[in-house]
Amino acid sequence: MTRAEFMTRLRRGLAGLPVTTIADIVADHEAHFADAVAAGRSEAEVAAALGDPDRLARELRAEAGLKQWEERKNPSNALAAVIALLGLGAIDVLILLPVLMGVLGALFGVLVAVVAVFFAGGVVFAAGPLTGPPGGPLTAFLAGLGLMGVATCLGALLTLVTVGVFNAVVWYARLHYRLLKPAIEQA
Amino acid sequence: MPEAIEIQLKKGVLALCVLALLSHADSYAYEIASRLTKDIDMGEGTIYPLMRRMQSDGLVETYLVESQSGPPRKYYRLTAEGRRSLEQQKTEWVAFTQAVNAIVGAAA
Repeated sequence: MTRAEFMTRLRRGLAGLPVTTIADIVADHEAHFADAVAAGRSEAEVAAALGDPDRLARELRAEAGLKQWEERKNPSNALAAVIALLGLGAIDVLILLPVLMGVLGALFGVLVAVVAVFFAGGVVFAAGPLTGPPGGPLTAFLAGLGLMGVATCLGALLTLVTVGVFNAVVWYARLHYRLLKPAIEQA
Repeated sequence: MPEAIEIQLKKGVLALCVLALLSHADSYAYEIASRLTKDIDMGEGTIYPLMRRMQSDGLVETYLVESQSGPPRKYYRLTAEGRRSLEQQKTEWVAFTQAVNAIVGAAA
């Protein structure tokens, strides 16, 4: 593979990342080729030593996705990180996916329950005092407020658990990066 | 699976090696990569994802140096945090290798 071919494939693989990030990565690899050629190596030799540009791009993208997730933990970044990792093949799909789906399913179920409790609390809070409940209007008022408070607490806990689960996934995926594979395959 | 162990081992010490190299002198990616390729047989392309991660973790920072030929060259140097991380990892590494050597040596 020539230097031009390598750079084209790398650039194509990086599409979608911020423009400055791409420019940075491209400049790094251009400099690598320039240094290597100055040291008397051929372009083909350098390209082979650098490894598959498509995989290189996938790893750099995955790293960017994980970094975003670590900086800002919101659902869209979590999704982006998971997609980037799936592209990398870093998550052992056959083993991890059923577990992950189970956990995510359970978390979603709890989320639905929490939202339901919150709304039920809201209804008791707003409508309860008007229906002549046992224990008087004030009891219904406070019970509704209590239900909403409990739901809010559970929601916060749920968020913590979800963040924890994703951190664990990211950690697991990083463990399975195959950055060094080319060195060993070529050996 | 000896191959998997080898990958995990090398990956684990790669960051330590880069920190150690940079603690002696500032360097640029090609120089770091050539050194590591020669001495511990790692993939040359590995260096760029690694350097990006170390930079975003605040362990290294970059500066540009004008060169006579071609564009300015990007040098890496350790940050204070990088130095701390190096000391900590070095201690762990020494303790770990001593323990392993003792076990392996005793078994032989």
